[in-house]
Amino acid sequence: MDVRIEQIGTTGEELVLIRCREITEEVREIEAFVKSRQGSLSCVSEARQYEIAVTDICYIESVDGKTFLYTNDRVYETAYRLYELEELLRSKQFLRISKPMLVNLMKIQSLQPAFNGRFLALLRSGEKVIISRNYVKALKDALKG
Amino acid sequence: MEFKRFLVNKLILFFTLSTLITVAVALVGSSFDDGARFGYKTMLLPLKYALLCMLPTFVTWSKRELSPKALLFRKALMLVLIEAVMLGIAFTSPSIDSDRAEVVLVVAGSVLVIFVLANLFLWLKDSAEAKKLNSDLEKYQQLHA
Repeated sequence: MDVRIEQIGTTGEELVLIRCREITEEVREIEAFVKSRQGSLSCVSEARQYEIAVTDICYIESVDGKTFLYTNDRVYETAYRLYELEELLRSKQFLRISKPMLVNLMKIQSLQPAFNGRFLALLRSGEKVIISRNYVKALKDALKG
Repeated sequence: MEFKRFLVNKLILFFTLSTLITVAVALVGSSFDDGARFGYKTMLLPLKYALLCMLPTFVTWSKRELSPKALLFRKALMLVLIEAVMLGIAFTSPSIDSDRAEVVLVVAGSVLVIFVLANLFLWLKDSAEAKKLNSDLEKYQQLHA
């Protein structure tokens, strides 16, 4: 597949166009990547496809090889791997807080100690997630900027 | 937590316990049996006790992050096992006069006090850290809102 980048003026509308003979899995992946860079993620819930804003996600968890996105009131499944989302969402205030979990720092209401150098993050959705001791330093660094 | 990292933590705990047990034996011994004289082999006793006390801490091992309640339960179980180990040592060691009930009480009490103090210090340290993290989190969220 050839890749072309065309620079436009400041007034024109920016657009990513994929011209293909067939909409393959690879094309879907490119589409999902572009959307994720713009602040939304493709996901599935109850056999329906959704595009959800990254800012609506409270946390992301990997369970038995599947990746789930948790918003205030729903759970979605995505085809992305956790490490891919970690890379994609690094600049969107998401941080790895344990081996299977990423959290949206903007959705944390407060932090409490949880024994053994771990912390409990109380989310605005009312849920609680554990910040593993191994990731506390990364949290401190992220919060200090 | 990876098991390898868990083992490294246990090794650190072993040396910390060796030091604390040496101090406890010196304080308790000078109070109850100040004139006692020991051979070189006695110097290995804190290491033996530390090893025996470290083994029950393996009940806190879990591949997944434990909830604060589950961890608290396992810590309580660990304390019971450590008490059992220490009382076992008190009743089988020829250098400790287990006929004197107060010696057994002091041994059990020392273990309890060390356990509670160690966990209290860790909790206070984590609480101070949580306070700082909450302050940093608030600033971070204001900056990125």
